[in-house]
Amino acid sequence: MNAGGRVRLEGIVKRHGALTVLHGIDLDIAHGEFFALLGPSGSGKTTTLRILAGLEPANAGKVWLDDEDVTAREPGERDVAMVFQSYALYPHMTVGENIGFPLRMVNMPHAEVASAVRDAAAKVRIDHLLERRPGQLSGGQQQRCALARAIVRKPRLFLLDEPLSNLDAKLRLETRVELRKLQRSLGVTTVYVTHDQEEAMTIADRMAVFMEGRIAQVGTPAEVFARPATTAVAAFIGSPPMNLLPARIDQGQLHVAGIAFAAPAVSDGDILLGVRPGALKIAPHGIAARVELVENMGDTAIVDCTVVNSVENTPIKWRVDGVPAVREGDVVHLTAAPEALHVFDAATGLRR
Amino acid sequence: MSSRRWRTTGLTLIAAVLLSIWVVPVLWALLTSFKTERDVLAYPPLVFFEPTLANYREVLFGASSILPNLVSSVIVAGSATVLTMLFAVPAAYALARLALPAKRAGGFYVLATQMLPPVGLIIPYYLILQKVGALDTYGGMTAIYLTFSLPFAMWLMVSYFEDVPPEMEEAALLDRAGRLRALWHVILPQVRGGIAVTTIFVFLNAWNEFLFAVVLAGNRVRPVTVAMFNFISVEQTQWARLAAGAMLAMAPVIVLGLLAQRHIVKGLTVGAVKGGGRR
Repeated sequence: MNAGGRVRLEGIVKRHGALTVLHGIDLDIAHGEFFALLGPSGSGKTTTLRILAGLEPANAGKVWLDDEDVTAREPGERDVAMVFQSYALYPHMTVGENIGFPLRMVNMPHAEVASAVRDAAAKVRIDHLLERRPGQLSGGQQQRCALARAIVRKPRLFLLDEPLSNLDAKLRLETRVELRKLQRSLGVTTVYVTHDQEEAMTIADRMAVFMEGRIAQVGTPAEVFARPATTAVAAFIGSPPMNLLPARIDQGQLHVAGIAFAAPAVSDGDILLGVRPGALKIAPHGIAARVELVENMGDTAIVDCTVVNSVENTPIKWRVDGVPAVREGDVVHLTAAPEALHVFDAATGLRR
Repeated sequence: MSSRRWRTTGLTLIAAVLLSIWVVPVLWALLTSFKTERDVLAYPPLVFFEPTLANYREVLFGASSILPNLVSSVIVAGSATVLTMLFAVPAAYALARLALPAKRAGGFYVLATQMLPPVGLIIPYYLILQKVGALDTYGGMTAIYLTFSLPFAMWLMVSYFEDVPPEMEEAALLDRAGRLRALWHVILPQVRGGIAVTTIFVFLNAWNEFLFAVVLAGNRVRPVTVAMFNFISVEQTQWARLAAGAMLAMAPVIVLGLLAQRHIVKGLTVGAVKGGGRR
């Protein structure tokens, strides 16, 4: 087992011509952590991973692996393995040759390569397919082959770039669980890029949420869910994500949609009031909202509403357990417990 | 007959007419190569005649044997091909992959060299080869063929390299292969088809070349295309021998063409459909 795998990024800046895609990324990842880089497309998460792998140079900043500065090292000299989104299997080699390739490149004796390939293939349950070529495998099997090629060399760091995005929904859920178990059993630090917040929430020990080339928040999935640092993070995490309502705090009173509540202990000013769809309840003194659509999902339902007394028809989503007793066109009064309210600055989007 | 069958019949007819434009001269030459000189000149042309192998005996083993010329052709075309591929493959890979500053301009220049009419270059080439003492030498001819085949081969190979997904190479780099071994173990096997097609095109271009060979060489180095020209003289044209020689010179072309048929069709359509050229 590899004892290393600590990652440290210091002030990583990346520019493509005049466009700055990473504005100084700082990140610490501990040994054995399953760490997700989460963000919408174009937020810089894949670029960060590629800089970590050595596939792209950074314009500024340093990459540290186990207290070694590897910024200038070639990808092959970093002792990291990567699974690409497209898997990048070698089509002219058999599955066995694909998995053994990284070992043959360091001139490991044939017998040792063969047994290591069998072990790695068995871990991902494709040891019966070693003679096939990648073109003869299903998508899920190809993904396992790519995974086996990464684990066979026992690197100090796994880099996974959206490894599940090419699988169908059911297989993705199954593979997600297996991936997590595999990582636990191997104990190798793993950096996992995904744009799927649910995937990151369920699989990661900790995660960094990327927004427009910056890290908006780092924390455990529970922390990020419970206390999103910005409105962008709040609107990205959760399914459906957090409702954000324009509101105002004035002399200790919270004014939202024409109704005054006792305000949380924050200073006066324009705010965006965040509340999770699941935290909303029906109460007679709540804000009025008209039901636009009921999305029934069996054990829960999402009720899409529009705030009645709002200038721009602010949408608000309400999650209900079971079958909701409302119909389209109804007006409901919604409220939430004070501890379930999140207050963000209306101008900066930062948590207040 | 349904309209669909009419269409198929029509297309077959058109194809047959077009094909005959290429095939009839070859068949004519094939027939001629088995005729005696007297039968060749018979009018109306004889379709049925007593075939003879005399022409082949003459052009292979007779006084005007073209065997040494075939050897010359193999040497010139072979060395031009080997050198071309040796330079074109790495160059095309670099052009396809690396972010070189003048890539676009360079690519256009490479293509532009193909647009020059070769005849306009003969005199400068003659003078250059004369200056360096390379007229009528294997080295000189190979160098001249390189100037044409290298840009062509690079241009053709670039599209094959561009078809290989970059991640495949990045995976090899992370798998500790390094650039050279990544090229050798991972990239080159993906472009095997392209290398085969390019090699054959380059070889055939050099093999069939006549203009440069007749002006810049022709005595010590006399490829088969030039040698056949000697069957045509002011006093008489030895049509039957010319035809027999042509059939012999054509043989490698046809054999190579058949061998690479599958690859060539793929090669000509590469890039037409994304990823269609591979696998």
